[in-house]
Amino acid sequence: MSESTTATLEAAAVAGTRPVRLSMQQALNRALDEILATDPKTVVFGEDCGRLGGVFRITDGLQAKHGESRVFDTPLAESGILGMSVGLAMAGFHPIPEVQFDGFAYPAINQIVCQIARMNYRSRGTLPMPITLRVPSFGGIRAPEHHGESLEALFAHVPGLKVVSPSDPHDAYHLLKYAASRPDPVIFMEPKSRYWQKGDVETSDGGTLTGARVVRPGRHLTLVAWGAMVARCLQVAELAAEDGIDVEVLDLRWLKPIDAEALAASVGKTRRAVVVHEAPLTSGLGAEVAQLITQSCFDTLKAPVERVTGFDVPYPSGDLEDEYIPNIDRILLGIQRVLEYRRG
Amino acid sequence: MAEISFPLPDLGEGLIEATVLDWLVSPGDQVERNQPLVELETSKSALELPSPQAGKVIRIHGAPGETINVGEPLVVFEVPDNTAGIVGTVPKDDAPKRRVRLSAVLDED
Repeated sequence: MSESTTATLEAAAVAGTRPVRLSMQQALNRALDEILATDPKTVVFGEDCGRLGGVFRITDGLQAKHGESRVFDTPLAESGILGMSVGLAMAGFHPIPEVQFDGFAYPAINQIVCQIARMNYRSRGTLPMPITLRVPSFGGIRAPEHHGESLEALFAHVPGLKVVSPSDPHDAYHLLKYAASRPDPVIFMEPKSRYWQKGDVETSDGGTLTGARVVRPGRHLTLVAWGAMVARCLQVAELAAEDGIDVEVLDLRWLKPIDAEALAASVGKTRRAVVVHEAPLTSGLGAEVAQLITQSCFDTLKAPVERVTGFDVPYPSGDLEDEYIPNIDRILLGIQRVLEYRRG
Repeated sequence: MAEISFPLPDLGEGLIEATVLDWLVSPGDQVERNQPLVELETSKSALELPSPQAGKVIRIHGAPGETINVGEPLVVFEVPDNTAGIVGTVPKDDAPKRRVRLSAVLDED
């Protein structure tokens, strides 16, 4: 490589115009670091978030850099973590609390649903809650109970909350910064099984951060997914291509509000859809997605929308995880059912 | 890569120090969890200390005959950045496996 080329590349890297290769862990850590550096009202806290740097290292090094008053540990009490977030938001702060694992959010449901979600409404807009609640979510890491759950339908059902889940490091970096800049409370669901996979992060250009994103275009069928299931659906799409089926993968990203227009555009083209999620089937977000698709594409759909999901059981122990989470074969079978469907 | 320090643990009965008898590993060694690291002697007994984790040993503290206080660094490991946290394991990104094949006649009307 010539000296001038090297110099150009270095300049591009400094200017942030060249993508950097980061794991989702590193991308989130970097986003938090930049949010703390640019917004003096931001505070980051949760169980082990301070000194340890988080059990998933997402807040690694942030306390040393930004100080103990801005990045700190809390007692093991989620109701306290979220209750404190309410008070901090009322006092003008921009809290980014962490609930260490999905299943630990249950003790804080009162604070999330009865306070955070409706304080702005209740106070006629005088007490907004600019809170970004980070929740390592979904399964896939062989962890015990309460460490692999998918709470998106629960949160999405609550008026006043926004819900988002990134599927790759680039979106994780930009969506976290975007969520933290919003005046409304956002539940930020991090797919913990994807923390370690690396991807290119274009730090200078996040692209469109609202709504869904087509991650793989296709003609015959749309797979709708979010979080960790996006990567699995991309694998399925590659395998389906071997059989001559051209699958589009739509990463929903925002689970509240759901991008109905993107669903209509994608399924309007492919005329077939399968929704994939880790959460249990009944009253899962797949039902909402299926209804939105039916509403916009009823006249042209070739088959009813299929759902491939977890089962209506408590999240199982790690040994049974692979049977519970939609695997490649179960998703392929869902696709096959849609392809085989004939009217009448 | 990340460094993880293993300080001399409390070896029981409230003892506050131990003397290194012999190292069973050297810097550069890759060790497994529970592999004996070092022979130690306390005022009560001699014992082999098992490794609390897998990793590459990059530093050891205390030559044979030297005394180390409980809580002082004993071994420093180097571990890959992509190790899991306190809970769970890092999922393997295996090549996708399938048993189901798709068969369909697409009526492209």
